[in-house]
Amino acid sequence: MADMEPDETVDSRDSACPGPLMDLVGRIKKSDPGTVLELLTSDEGSKKDVPDWLENTRHDLLEIEDQNGHWAIYVKVN
Amino acid sequence: MSGYAIVIGSEELEKVQAASMIAAVAVVSDYELDVFVTMNALTAFEKEVVENRDFKTEGGVGELMLDPDTETQVPLFTEQLEQAKMLGELGIYACTMAMDLQGNTLDDYIDLFDDELGVSGFLGLAEDKEVIFI
Repeated sequence: MADMEPDETVDSRDSACPGPLMDLVGRIKKSDPGTVLELLTSDEGSKKDVPDWLENTRHDLLEIEDQNGHWAIYVKVN
Repeated sequence: MSGYAIVIGSEELEKVQAASMIAAVAVVSDYELDVFVTMNALTAFEKEVVENRDFKTEGGVGELMLDPDTETQVPLFTEQLEQAKMLGELGIYACTMAMDLQGNTLDDYIDLFDDELGVSGFLGLAEDKEVIFI
């Protein structure tokens, strides 16, 4: 388990592409710079799609953690 | 090229969903984007059709999308486009000709359209964009 302590969690488990990404973007737009967000997703494609989007939009990917059947993707808002 | 213009010409759920997924992700990736809904595709946006989830599907994927027992729920194209509109700049336009033929007005469709448009209007919008025809 990682030691990440997110400021907020976005729970998009059981939502298919592009639901988790869109939920994350919605939260990022409302968040202050420096906020650490945790995105919970069971959509395998998010592991690729979310980092690709973050790379294009200057936010930081901190970690992707496997949590038995879903993933937690940690993001720092810039 | 400064963005994308997506033309949706089919009412098949799979195609409308694919278009809305591309549109939603493009919008949050800061691409300029316009969607032109024409021909039978307009049917999928009719209020009654959306309310009753009475969509035409092409095959297995569409049927799974509509099945409430499917474990992974795909957000319906209406929700995706609505969310995309809240998060960025997205223009959605209905084809005047297809509406007229069916005796419809914008009031017959869900509240997503910015306006109705003819071919010239669409070409103006698409002038500096890559066109994706679905």
